[in-house]
Amino acid sequence: MTCREFQEILPEIIDGGQSIEQEMHWRSCGECSDLVADLTLISQQAIELRAADTPSPRVWNSIEIALREEGLIRAGGGLAVVPIPSRRWSMRWLVPLTAAFLVSFGVADYYMARQQTPTEVAGVDRPGAVASAMDADDSQLLEAVGTNAPAMRATYETNLKDVNAFIRDAEDSAKNNPGDEEAQQMLMEAYAQKNMIYEMAMDRSLR
Amino acid sequence: MISKKRVETLMLVVIVITATGLASGQTHKEYRFTVHPGSSVSVANPYGAISVKSAAANAVVVTAILHSDKVEIDQIQHGNRIDINSHLLPGADAESGQVEYEISVPADASVNMRTSTGPLKAEKMGGDLTLEGTTASVDVHDVSNAHVHVKTLSGPVTLTNIKGGHVEVTSVSGDVTLNTVTGPNVQVSSSSGKIIYNGDFGIGGAYSLTSHTGDIEATAPPQASIDVVAESTKGTVDSDFSLEPRHSSFTTKVGSTFAGTMNKALSLVKLNSFSGKIHLKKR
Repeated sequence: MTCREFQEILPEIIDGGQSIEQEMHWRSCGECSDLVADLTLISQQAIELRAADTPSPRVWNSIEIALREEGLIRAGGGLAVVPIPSRRWSMRWLVPLTAAFLVSFGVADYYMARQQTPTEVAGVDRPGAVASAMDADDSQLLEAVGTNAPAMRATYETNLKDVNAFIRDAEDSAKNNPGDEEAQQMLMEAYAQKNMIYEMAMDRSLR
Repeated sequence: MISKKRVETLMLVVIVITATGLASGQTHKEYRFTVHPGSSVSVANPYGAISVKSAAANAVVVTAILHSDKVEIDQIQHGNRIDINSHLLPGADAESGQVEYEISVPADASVNMRTSTGPLKAEKMGGDLTLEGTTASVDVHDVSNAHVHVKTLSGPVTLTNIKGGHVEVTSVSGDVTLNTVTGPNVQVSSSSGKIIYNGDFGIGGAYSLTSHTGDIEATAPPQASIDVVAESTKGTVDSDFSLEPRHSSFTTKVGSTFAGTMNKALSLVKLNSFSGKIHLKKR
């Protein structure tokens, strides 16, 4: 058995099932053994996470919709984005990825909308939809921070307001100056700052 | 094979000194790890200081002061990688969960530090540094030929005497001060924090200082070799220097933009703010 074959079935192995051949590989391969040890530790830690740490289904639905729009998954396909509660593996690690994805999606979506003709854009509130989704997620994020580190909630709230104001101004500036690279760069900086806040909020040592 | 490797890498000498006599309930601990060149050290400490400096070439020494028994230290070595985590126990808060770290590492070690309250400090390093803090202040000085990445929400950031590496600072509301910071790529982004640069912008680097509402103040000597572009969408810009006109399509607008070169224009300097004031000062 090769390392690649072993690592493809790693989730099942972590969940407890393994053949003699897999066990032999695991015991003889340092890299795979390390991987199993690390993932087992993560898995054990994940079990201890409280339900409050798990984002609401709304977040997962947003990701799923976005992934479908991007063509990365198909409706009715095998990939379930919304986590199944009974699984041992927590999907908490996806939260920073979610933030990064939504931010990237927001920026990309903004530029796509900007490139469309006014007729195409009319009646389709795409940037607004993303913006409002982010605002709803902000509340959820603050709730999570408030639960886990009440003293930090005010700091996060203040900084989120700062960054949202930055994004709003940067969006307006980019719209009003479509050929201005600096305005576009500033918009990306604003989104990057928001992404950073989300990443920090999900890091236990930073809240 | 793996156990042998682990045994080898785990040949660390752990010295635990418990100061039971201290009325404060503080506990001192020391951990020593043997490493090879190019090691990496990661420290996560929700509450308390982390201070790192370079020392012996093949050892990482961690001294920690734990403020109570509500926190313990998880430490693990995987080959050349060392992870140190303050593990908060039930009932721990910002006071009882506090740990103060002083860490010495080989000069070429890359170090990642994360804390909520901090402060964070790194000095005399030659390996890549990543420092993340929420309200923590960040102080980095005397770093050469290494990447320095800093992220804070409201914590102020001060970088002093940083040379030759990529520098990237992002702070939402903390003030950022750069003293004698030069390198091929220096980027600072803040939303409402003030950005202060004191230095000569080196030779041949790209410098980008960006804010939303925070003021940007850059102070340089007359001999600085720069090609500068400054723009504040709704704020004002001001330069103490008489800049040579820039050969580009950039259109300047009196009061909110200026652009031009000084001397050989070896370094590119971009100063951008939405509503903050931008001032290029002469030293």
